[in-house]
Amino acid sequence: MNHISRRSMLAIGAATLGTAALGLTACSSDSGGGDKGTDLSKNRADAMDKFAVGDQFKAAEPIAFTTLLNDNPGYPEKGSWLFWSELAKRTNVTLKPTVVPLSDYENKRSVIIGAGSAPFLIPKTYPGQEAPFVASGSILPISDYVDLMPNFKDKVARWNLQGDVDTLRQDDGKYYVLPGLHQDVWIDYSFAIRTDVLDELGLQIPKTLDDLHSVLTAIKAAKGGFPMSDRWNQPTPGGALLQTVGQAFGAGSGGGWGYANATFDTASGKFVFTGSMDQYKQTLSYVASLVKDGLLDPESFTQTDDQANAKFTSGKTYVISTNAQELVNTYRVGLAKSVPSAKVVKIPVPTGPAGDVKVGIRLENGLMISKKARDSKDFVALIQFVDWLYYSDDGQIFAKWGVEGVTYTRDAAGSFHLTNDVDYVGLNPTATKKLNVDFGFSNGNFAYGGSTQLLESTFSQEEKDFQKVMTARKTLPVPPPHPLNADEQEQSALWDAPLKDYVQQQTLKFILGERDFGQWDAYVSELKGKNSDAYIDLVNKAYQRFKDNQGKPAADKS
Amino acid sequence: MVILDRTRIETGEATRPPGVRVSRGYRVFQVVNALILTGIVVATLYPIVNIVARSFSGDGYIRSGKVSLIPRGFNVTTYKAVLSNGAFWTDYRNTVFYTVVATVVAMFLTTCYAYVLSKKDLRGRGVLVGVAVFTMFFSGGLIPNYILVTTMGLRNSVWAIALPNAVSVFNLLVMKAFFEGLPAELEEAAAIDGLNTYGTLWRVVLPLSKAVLATMVLFYAVSFWNSWFTAFLYMDRSDLFPVTVYLRNLIAGATTSTSVGFSGADAGVAGANIQSVTIILTTLPILAVYPFVQRYFVSGVTLGAVKG
Repeated sequence: MNHISRRSMLAIGAATLGTAALGLTACSSDSGGGDKGTDLSKNRADAMDKFAVGDQFKAAEPIAFTTLLNDNPGYPEKGSWLFWSELAKRTNVTLKPTVVPLSDYENKRSVIIGAGSAPFLIPKTYPGQEAPFVASGSILPISDYVDLMPNFKDKVARWNLQGDVDTLRQDDGKYYVLPGLHQDVWIDYSFAIRTDVLDELGLQIPKTLDDLHSVLTAIKAAKGGFPMSDRWNQPTPGGALLQTVGQAFGAGSGGGWGYANATFDTASGKFVFTGSMDQYKQTLSYVASLVKDGLLDPESFTQTDDQANAKFTSGKTYVISTNAQELVNTYRVGLAKSVPSAKVVKIPVPTGPAGDVKVGIRLENGLMISKKARDSKDFVALIQFVDWLYYSDDGQIFAKWGVEGVTYTRDAAGSFHLTNDVDYVGLNPTATKKLNVDFGFSNGNFAYGGSTQLLESTFSQEEKDFQKVMTARKTLPVPPPHPLNADEQEQSALWDAPLKDYVQQQTLKFILGERDFGQWDAYVSELKGKNSDAYIDLVNKAYQRFKDNQGKPAADKS
Repeated sequence: MVILDRTRIETGEATRPPGVRVSRGYRVFQVVNALILTGIVVATLYPIVNIVARSFSGDGYIRSGKVSLIPRGFNVTTYKAVLSNGAFWTDYRNTVFYTVVATVVAMFLTTCYAYVLSKKDLRGRGVLVGVAVFTMFFSGGLIPNYILVTTMGLRNSVWAIALPNAVSVFNLLVMKAFFEGLPAELEEAAAIDGLNTYGTLWRVVLPLSKAVLATMVLFYAVSFWNSWFTAFLYMDRSDLFPVTVYLRNLIAGATTSTSVGFSGADAGVAGANIQSVTIILTTLPILAVYPFVQRYFVSGVTLGAVKG
């Protein structure tokens, strides 16, 4: 058998490393001259001279922009969509999509941004996802150009969103993603409960978490078994449940999916460590009491969604976490087969000691723009186009509902109705065509955010009722921005994840009764052993620095 | 004891040559063997049968977890729906096309390379083997590969799939070992009869290598049929995707949009039975190929493996 000697292997290896290093130096010397300042005189081709709120954007000549497109298997991309042709007709802009399957959208996005081949527009980017690309310099700091975006500025001002938008700022004081903007915090997750069983036992729909405890106790007394078995354990066990309960107890944005190590304490004006807050302890002891009293299946934190759904839809359990979709698509469909008399509703989120409040941010996923678009002669037209499509009322209605008279009509009150032959989320079940599948509207790449009226225009009546209750609740302010610089980011990465993991682990131990609450102080000092204090100091330092600079670029950019 | 006797007959012991006594230990071994293998068969078959059952079941029954081995709410409407879906067929055609082209390219290159490497008197043979083996341990990485394929203008063409994966080093080494095992005298005889190197390869060596060729075709075809990542990375239009990308998106789309919290506009969840039907239709052809190639497959792999 032939084999290469170790020496030649090393030689090849060294040569490869050398080439790689050369490549890196070449890259970094390249990116130096990227900043062109604010002179846009060479980038105004095809743009509108005057573009203000209420104006229809139309490029002077037909132009094409490239865009990434997240391809949803529910409505796969078609070149024949009315969305493309009507968009070109109205704006003179043809979008050239790079179609990426939804299953691995993030992967391909990273690769093509890394390779420098990204299209101009990169939609479907959730706030926070832009951070890894900022240092590479391949993403446009869009905050430098919002003056070209009258509709965006108008909505931020009218809906009082500046605080939310400020959370996007990086250490250089700029933000790199244009978020979808909601008029109000939109709460979707709550509990689904079997109202036929409540009626049978003479129980009321629980309004508070204490009510929920007593309702579960009553159901258990009558039916036995575990009245509740929960789901959504990916990527965090108890994702929805701990988030909901944590928020009700005032533990920041809650546990589970909402868990973040730092929570802003308005009383002291500082960030504190979420996992050691009293409110977090109360959250855990509440959930632990559900487990201890046999009301919540201990498997709730480990089982798969399918297992939990099967228990609920076969009629073995009576309460489960839900969102609007799962209620209709999974629970009702499943229950109809096994317990035809079952009635299930999504109840308004039960409140706790924090009172009638809701926690959330009014930013939705949005889009990034490639830095290289800045060099295009059509740059200003691009920004105006984006502003019209994503932030103007007309653009948002167009992206969501399509073309008046073709896909929808509006009545005198301004309500939207689908035309006879068009269906969307079951609003018009007998129709043969679908708004998203056949026309390309209500597409997750282009339609999100908007006014509450627009958001709720596709909701069923029961979901509107749910939202009415939730809208009446007070929205807590978002935590202030505390952007970390590159060094801090590296340091925090070393602390953040291990702390989160540890909190998560111990959370389960406390909930499942494997650890007694008498050991809470020991647990808090274990967290300190894992640098929880140092982590919070870091965050507070960054917060203080941002406050001092008031959004001005930090002096030291490295 | 009764059970043991029956197993003795069923496991083929009845065919042993007359007069040879079977030891007790061997009998126990056979029973244990049969049990373990039955277990493996069940474990392998269960998911397949389950998917088949799901594909014929109603969506509601699947969601409430009631379908295991027998379809509930039997229907073939999902099959009809998937079979009448234009995108599915476009992607299916792409898969067939990519698999055929990539397999032909891969076979040509691998055979040539392996034949050259099998010549022991070739100068620089060690370097040529080293170049191949090096790629088993080190790769350029995702982004450099992407840049390479992009700058060569291969994106959105079949070559982006066929060329970067054309030579699998494992297959190359198996094939090289096989060629080395052929008697050198045959090639000498061919040379004396006036055949040049290519003639020898084409007329003498390849006809004697059907077993390993069939095995390699199977290896390559299966891996190209199943692969999705290269196509996902280098294809920018949905009408260029192979069916594996379509399938992956279908399955992942159904789980992510509900579990990670969806945006209001993203209402479109593929039914659980649609997934099963697509899985069945995607894997069927490649499953159907196995029985026909299997006899070559077994002899080909073992032949390559013992020499070296």
